[in-house]
Amino acid sequence: MTPAQFEKQIEPRWQKLEKLLKETEQSHPSAEVEELPATFRQVCHDLSVAQHRMSPQRLTQQLNALAIRGYRVLERHSSGGWEAFARMILVEFPQAVRAEWKLFWWCTALFYVPAVLIAVITPSYPEWAMTLLGPDGMMQIESMYGEASKPSDYVHENFGTGFAAFCFYIWNNVSIDFRTFAGGILGGVGALFVLLFNSLYLGAVFGYVHYSGNPLTLYTWVIAHGAPELTGVVISAMAGMRVGWSVLRPGRMDRRTALVLAGRKALPLLVGAAVLTSVAAVLEGFWSPMDLPPVIKFTAGGMCWLLVAMFLLFSGRRQTDAA
Amino acid sequence: MAAARADTLQSVELADGVEIQLRVAGPAVRSMAYMTDLLIRIGIDIVVAIGAFMLLPELIGKEMTNGLYLLFVFFMEWFYNVFFEAGAKGATPGQRSMKLRVMSVTGGPVTLAQAVMRNFLRVADFMPGLYLTGIVCMLFTKRFQRLGDLVANTVVTYAEVPPFIVPNVEIRAERRAPSKVLTREEQAALLQFLERAPLWADERRIELAALVQPLTEAEGVEGLRRLCGMALWLQAPEDKSGTPPPLKGAAMFRS
Repeated sequence: MTPAQFEKQIEPRWQKLEKLLKETEQSHPSAEVEELPATFRQVCHDLSVAQHRMSPQRLTQQLNALAIRGYRVLERHSSGGWEAFARMILVEFPQAVRAEWKLFWWCTALFYVPAVLIAVITPSYPEWAMTLLGPDGMMQIESMYGEASKPSDYVHENFGTGFAAFCFYIWNNVSIDFRTFAGGILGGVGALFVLLFNSLYLGAVFGYVHYSGNPLTLYTWVIAHGAPELTGVVISAMAGMRVGWSVLRPGRMDRRTALVLAGRKALPLLVGAAVLTSVAAVLEGFWSPMDLPPVIKFTAGGMCWLLVAMFLLFSGRRQTDAA
Repeated sequence: MAAARADTLQSVELADGVEIQLRVAGPAVRSMAYMTDLLIRIGIDIVVAIGAFMLLPELIGKEMTNGLYLLFVFFMEWFYNVFFEAGAKGATPGQRSMKLRVMSVTGGPVTLAQAVMRNFLRVADFMPGLYLTGIVCMLFTKRFQRLGDLVANTVVTYAEVPPFIVPNVEIRAERRAPSKVLTREEQAALLQFLERAPLWADERRIELAALVQPLTEAEGVEGLRRLCGMALWLQAPEDKSGTPPPLKGAAMFRS
C-alpha cells in the first residue's frame, strides 16, 4: 500500500472521530456517539501505524491531536459532586488522620508543647511573651481580655456583625491553613515554621492574659471555637509535613512518585483542616461573642472538644477504604 | 534515540497502548498566561468591589458588605484557577488566550483533586518572590513542571496543533538508495527534511544538507540533490509516475 492509499483509507475514520468529538464536546451527541470508543481505538491504531511507517508529519500530528482530544473526552470523569465531597470529609478525612497517627501526634506535640512552655514561663519572664506579641498584640489583648473589657465588644467594634466576623475568619484563617500546607513541600520547613510560630504566639497570648488580664474571659471566649480551630491548624501542618516528608524520605519510591502519592494522601487532610477551620469561623463569629454564663460556655466548649475527638477517632471506621 | 532533543515533545503511552505526543509549554508562555489571568482577576475584583460597595451597603449594611467581599476575595484567590482548570476546557482564560491547557501527565483531563493540589502549591512555587522556585523547578524537569505540577502529576501543554503549512511543490530529484543502512530515526529525519525543505531558502537547504556529507558524499547542490533523492527513495523506492525530468541548478523545488 502506498502512503497515499493509506491516507485515503484512514481518512473516513478520523473524520468520523472528529465529528463525534465535536458533537460530544458541545454536549449535543447524536445517536452515533456509541461508536465513539471504537472509532477512537481505530484512530489510535491508525496513529500507531502512521508513526511506524513514518508518514508525513502533517498526518501524524493531526492524528496525534485527535487522539489527545478523544482521550480527554473518553477519560473525563465527574468529580462526584457533593456526595464525594461529603464522603471525603466524613470518611476519608478521619481515616487519613488515623492512618497517619504518628505524624498527627508529632504535629500536636510540636504545636502544644512550646505553647504551654511559653505560657507557663510568662508570669515569671513576661518579656518573652511581650516580644512575641509586640505593642499592637498587647493592646489588642488589653481590649479583649483586660480587666474591664469583653472580647464581644471588641468584635462588635471591629466587625459589627457576627456574619462579618465569620467572613473575616474564613478569609484569614482558611488561607493560613492553605499556606501552611503549601509551605510543607519545602521539606516540611514551611509548615513547621508556621506551626511553631502559631504555637509560640498562642502561648504568649495565654501567658500574657494570665500575667496582666482576665483569664476567665479568655477561656470562656476560646474554649468552643478553639477545638476545631487548633485541630485545623495542626492538621493543615500535618498535610504539609506529609508532602515534605516524602521529599526528605521517599523510601523505596523515586521522589517524583513519592511526591504524587503523598499529595493524594494529603488532600483529605487539607480539605478536612479547611472544613474544621470553617466550622471554627462559624463558632467564633456567632457563638463565642454571646454573653452567657461561664458554666454554659465551658460545657459547650467541652462538648466541642469531645465532638472533634470523637469525630477523628470514630468517623468512617466501618467504611472500607475505597482507595 | 537521539541524545539531545531540540523539541519539547513528550511521549506518553495511553491506556489504549498508543503513544501520543504532548507539546509541553515552557516558563515564558506560561508566565504570559499567568499575567493575563492576574490582570483578569484584578479587574474582576475591582469591578465587583465597585458594584458591591455602591449597591449593597444600603441593603445589608456596610459591615455585611465588607464581610461578603472578603469571602469573594478568598474564593477568587484560591479557587479561580481550580474552577477553570477542572472545568471542561481544562484551562483558565489566561491559559486559553495563550492556547495552553493543563493536562494530567497520563494524557487525560485534570481532576478536581489535581487542580486543587497544583494551585494551592503556588504559594511554595512563588517563594521567595515572582515564582522563582517554580521557574527554577521547571528548568530542572524535562516536562517543565513546577512543584505544584510535580505533586499533582500535571503538565501544561499547547492545546492546538501548530498550523502545518503544506507546501504545494513538486520535488524533482533522482531516486537513489542511501549509501549506508539508516536507523529509523535517521530515516525519519530525512523524510522530515523532504517535507520541510520547500519552506526554506536554497542556502539553508544546502547548509543543512552539508551536515550529512558522510551520507551523501557530495558537497553543495549535488549533496542536496542526493539527499532529496534518498528521501524520495525512502518514500517509495520506485517511481511509478514516469521518469523524473532532469535537474537544473538548485531549483529542485517549484511552487
